[in-house]
Amino acid sequence: MKARRGLSLRGRLAVLYAALLVVSLVLVGAYSYWNIWQLFISSKSSHLRARAKPVIAHWLAATGLADAASRSLDRRPGDVLALARDLTSRDAVAVVLDRGGKVLADGRRLPEEPSPPAPDPQYLRRALAGENEVTYRSRVAGEPVLVLLIPLRPRPGSPEILGVVQLSAPLTDINRILFRHGATLIALLAVILILGTAAGFWLIGVSLKDLRRLLTACDQVSRGNLAQRVHPVGRRDEIGQLTEAFNRMTAQLEAAFASQQRFVANAAHELLTPLTGLRGSLEVLLRGAQDDPAAAGRLLRGMYGELSRLIRLCNQLLGLSRLEGAAHVSRRAIALPEFMEAFRVQCEALAADNPLVVETGPDVTVSADPDLLKQVLLNLLSNALRFSASGTPVTIGWKLLPQAVEIWVSDRGPGMDERTRAHAFEPFYRGKNTPATGEKGAGLGLALARSMVAAHGGRMRIESRPGSGTTVYFTLPLQ
Amino acid sequence: MSNDVADSGDAPTAILVIEDDPVITEFLRTGLHYEGYHVAAAGSGEEGLAALEQGDFRLVILDVMLPDIDGFEVCRRLRSAGFRVPVLMLTVRREVSDRVRGLDSGADDYLTKPFSFDELLARMRALLRRSGHGRANRRLHGGGIVLDEETREVWRDGRSIELTPAEFGLLTLLMRHPRRVFTRETLLNRVLGYDYDGGTNIIDVHISHLRNKLGDRPPRLIRTVYAVGYAFHPEGEA
Repeated sequence: MKARRGLSLRGRLAVLYAALLVVSLVLVGAYSYWNIWQLFISSKSSHLRARAKPVIAHWLAATGLADAASRSLDRRPGDVLALARDLTSRDAVAVVLDRGGKVLADGRRLPEEPSPPAPDPQYLRRALAGENEVTYRSRVAGEPVLVLLIPLRPRPGSPEILGVVQLSAPLTDINRILFRHGATLIALLAVILILGTAAGFWLIGVSLKDLRRLLTACDQVSRGNLAQRVHPVGRRDEIGQLTEAFNRMTAQLEAAFASQQRFVANAAHELLTPLTGLRGSLEVLLRGAQDDPAAAGRLLRGMYGELSRLIRLCNQLLGLSRLEGAAHVSRRAIALPEFMEAFRVQCEALAADNPLVVETGPDVTVSADPDLLKQVLLNLLSNALRFSASGTPVTIGWKLLPQAVEIWVSDRGPGMDERTRAHAFEPFYRGKNTPATGEKGAGLGLALARSMVAAHGGRMRIESRPGSGTTVYFTLPLQ
Repeated sequence: MSNDVADSGDAPTAILVIEDDPVITEFLRTGLHYEGYHVAAAGSGEEGLAALEQGDFRLVILDVMLPDIDGFEVCRRLRSAGFRVPVLMLTVRREVSDRVRGLDSGADDYLTKPFSFDELLARMRALLRRSGHGRANRRLHGGGIVLDEETREVWRDGRSIELTPAEFGLLTLLMRHPRRVFTRETLLNRVLGYDYDGGTNIIDVHISHLRNKLGDRPPRLIRTVYAVGYAFHPEGEA
């Protein structure tokens, strides 16, 4: 497939696919990263609290602070220090603060133990106001720490707050774990992205392969190779349907093109016959027949006839091509009984040897072009008359159908065999029976009549059997 | 090479034209009649086959598109009935497959419509020659003049005479149809072509040169018919 205007469809789809993959992977990764982080923090803080709780309760009981009259921590530096030391462990440092936020005791025993962060007044206020679980993160010398504030109450649930215990634990280990997790995540993401994009590119390519075959076929068709078909993909998806639609379209195109070519060839052949007569007669005249008035007269009359035939043929061809567009139909309301009676009167001279019978049907009004309707009727009538022996009647009638009116022209001529009936509407097709009278037509009359009826949205059909006459029916829409 | 009646002294060569188009039949009948053929016409295949049984025809001109049975079928039937008469088929179809079909059905030659009358005559002459009814000897004799159409040589009393193509054409045409009067118009059309747009005086000029070269003095072989044209009289002017 040639790349037209930038990326091919395959490239565009692959890029889109990769972008979607990146976005979804980043979202999932970020969400899991954040979740794990939250889990670590909450599990660490609840672990620290759970450990601190019994220590504080024991301490309160041991110091008797719960029942003491003076509950000021400032007066008991030793107890406070003991509490701080009890609460300090390998991974957490405890600091005891009084109600004013002043540090009363620091639980560190060794100076190399991590130093506790300075109390954050904003969170301290919340703890002093009675909030039990204040947790926040801070930094000591650039290292992240988790800070928990536990208000000291004389008894659990007591509104009185003696002071606040601050527990701080470094987050360095959690960060290290999370960094590893993040790195793994990014590496995975990259691998998934590469593999996913490659797989996507391949999959899209497989789906588009059939599309590319269609494109090649379209190119072929546009170069005039109408026999081009695409092998069915055997799937009922869009591409399978497109392939079928393409094959149907080219088959129809091919048929239409072939019928067009046949039509043109037939038309040319029809034109060549009178041209042969004209040319031959002219040559014979020039070769000497011009000197014999009788022969010259015969030849000239023949030539005149051939010219008339050529003109009639050209007019019929023009009529057929004009009706293709159906633009020349100017419909009017036509009351059939009056129209048919007028038609009968006009045609009586034409049907001098045969009685022309109009079987008056229901009083209906059709929507049709009166000129075209007259031409259709004339066409059918002249066919019927041509094949009727002298004296046999030709009948015109109509009847009402649910949605339309059906009109017929019926004769008692020789009728058509099945083959002739099947081909009767084909342009230039002529039956085997020689007309009783008159010259032979070009075989366009019925084709033309059917086109005229079709231009009104009607249909035309023939009922005929050898020996039992012919009836041509056509429908017209009701007004 | 012509089957000219008077020239050969034989009965006229009978041709059967099987063609349903009345205009084509008419011009073939008239044109071939002027060429000295005797033409019978049939308007359909059955009629043609029936006519063939009746008469003794030397050539059949057969149209492919006939109202009843097509030309191929007519040809097959007449061959299977044992007729060996040459058949020249006429049709508007130009496809090779149609030509093959025509020749396969037993036709001897195939001409597509619209055809030139000269070509039709040439093909008829060829067919008649092949079937042994044409004249093998392509020399015309008359009034001491010998004309060889093949070598385009002319002798008067054994003396060779040089002619221009127009003079040769005129003499050939006149000698082929002895005593027939040709108008200047007809001579012009047939010798110089249908599209020659000069006046007919040119014919008088060529005739005058021709007479001089032939030494044609009264009583003339090439006689002037007053107010009409010229004719060839082998026995000389009375």
